[in-house]
Amino acid sequence: MKAICKREIRSYFSSPIGYVCVAALLALYGYYYYLVMMMGSSSYISSVYGVMFSFSMMVIPIITMRSMSDDQKNKTDQALLTAPVGVLAIAAGKFLASFFVFFVASTLGLLPAAVMSFFSSPAWGEVIGNYLGTLLYGGAMVAIGVFISSLTVSQIIAAIGTFAVSVFLMYIDMLASNLSNAALSKVVEWISFNNRYTTFTQGMFSISAAVFFLSVMAVFVFLTARRLESRRWG
Amino acid sequence: MVEVKNLTKRYGGNLALDNVSFTIEEGTIVGFLGPNGAGKSTTMNIITGYLSATSGQVTVSGKSTLDDPNEVKKLIGYLPEQPPLYMDMTVKEYLNFMYELKKVKLPREQHIKEICGLVRIEDVYGRLIGNLSKGYKQRVGIAQALIGNPPVLILDEPTVGLDPKQIIEIRTLIKSLGENHTVILSSHILPEVQAVCERIIVINNGHLVADGATDTLAHDLSQDHRLILRAEGDETEMLSAIVQMEHVVEATSLGEKEPGVFELSVEAEPDYDLRRDLFHLLAEKGWPLLAMKNSDLTLEDLFLQLTSSDESHAAEEEGSGEAGPEEAEESPEPAEEPEEQPEEQEEEERKSESESDL
Repeated sequence: MKAICKREIRSYFSSPIGYVCVAALLALYGYYYYLVMMMGSSSYISSVYGVMFSFSMMVIPIITMRSMSDDQKNKTDQALLTAPVGVLAIAAGKFLASFFVFFVASTLGLLPAAVMSFFSSPAWGEVIGNYLGTLLYGGAMVAIGVFISSLTVSQIIAAIGTFAVSVFLMYIDMLASNLSNAALSKVVEWISFNNRYTTFTQGMFSISAAVFFLSVMAVFVFLTARRLESRRWG
Repeated sequence: MVEVKNLTKRYGGNLALDNVSFTIEEGTIVGFLGPNGAGKSTTMNIITGYLSATSGQVTVSGKSTLDDPNEVKKLIGYLPEQPPLYMDMTVKEYLNFMYELKKVKLPREQHIKEICGLVRIEDVYGRLIGNLSKGYKQRVGIAQALIGNPPVLILDEPTVGLDPKQIIEIRTLIKSLGENHTVILSSHILPEVQAVCERIIVINNGHLVADGATDTLAHDLSQDHRLILRAEGDETEMLSAIVQMEHVVEATSLGEKEPGVFELSVEAEPDYDLRRDLFHLLAEKGWPLLAMKNSDLTLEDLFLQLTSSDESHAAEEEGSGEAGPEEAEESPEPAEEPEEQPEEQEEEERKSESESDL
């Protein structure tokens, strides 16, 4: 797992993909930070992070799209699957590498708050809450993205698929409120990533939400491993 | 060392392997022969654990691929048909990655250096794999298979894309590796298999059609054991003298090949070696013997005979990109041409048909 994770991270940063993803996110962060702070002269740093989060959702599909599909296309999966490594280790290594790129981008996204702290005292509870929430929600999306990437050899399809899923999940609350069937609406609400994420943005650490996101990551890493295994039976 | 029992593999409704069994002893070099789509790569992929069999089992060193997949994988070095190379890594990074991936315990620097020396890739050690020529990529692929010094090496068409000099180098390398490794290699290049392998397994259409030592397989499979000889003398006199010999079943003339020199075909009783008797007879009569050979099948004849039963199936498979220049150079025998060409023509016809459909 370590070898695969290391190789993937190196591959992200030996090609422009890693840098472009991180740079694009940071540029968008900075731009929005400027808009809110200077033009709106607002002090709501958490609203800045709230928007940053939706930027991340657009970049995650780009980070994960090549994760599994590239191996399948270039037949490098033959090296991985014939090495003495389990499929779960392969899937976990891939997930961790993609997550690392997202982690770097999100962590550097704390820079605005760090800059702010020279001039005033930002609400660190909210900032850290936002940061953790973003990491957890993002981690779940990365796991889903890696899984979708394992379903196809085409990077484009993987990216668009992941993007569609992430947008669907972002607006699933609206769907829930529009459903007339109370039970169904309850179920849809329960799936909602946003509800759980919002708790973090208010500066509260919710263990149940954290467990939910970690479970989603585990389930999709597991599914990716199953997908790798199932290809052997093709 | 490697035991394959009743291996069957289905891809949907397509039966790729049908009840294939064989055992390979330690320290032998075995050649897998067969037309495109015969099931060679599938068999190799199953042995290495990349694919799973529909039924049947594979054991390596007594360990089953089903019960102990990771242990078996440690014993095998695999070079797939398309080397599994990461184009965005340098040779050095890639070999180090494979070293870590395979959890090798040998001293790293020294081990990787040794392998690079063996397959001669020291010159490109620091270069990006994506920028290497096909021959070098192939060699990096072989190097990758050697990492960890596994006792079993499985090489799927190891010399594809190499120039004739490199082919000879790699063959020599495989031969030397065969001294302390069990090697299974597949190839379309028949002389290569003949030169390198001690044993040949022929697979056609998912069935094992022949299995035996390289030297004796052709002899055992040929139905007639005739001698073809050239001698200088009178055609009818020679024929009547030969027919009157003991153990001779039939003698016919194949015509005058050089001025005054005739080619004769002599069929002896099965299991009787007639060569010495013939020599003495001709010497006695003063008819100089200019050439004599067994009419045993060449490997090409054998290959064609064993695999020609379903040309149509072979044509259905993916076009052979392997019919590269080195193949033509390696096999001057014309026997291979009729095999390759109709197949490719059919392939092209098929393509143009499907295009016109569009």
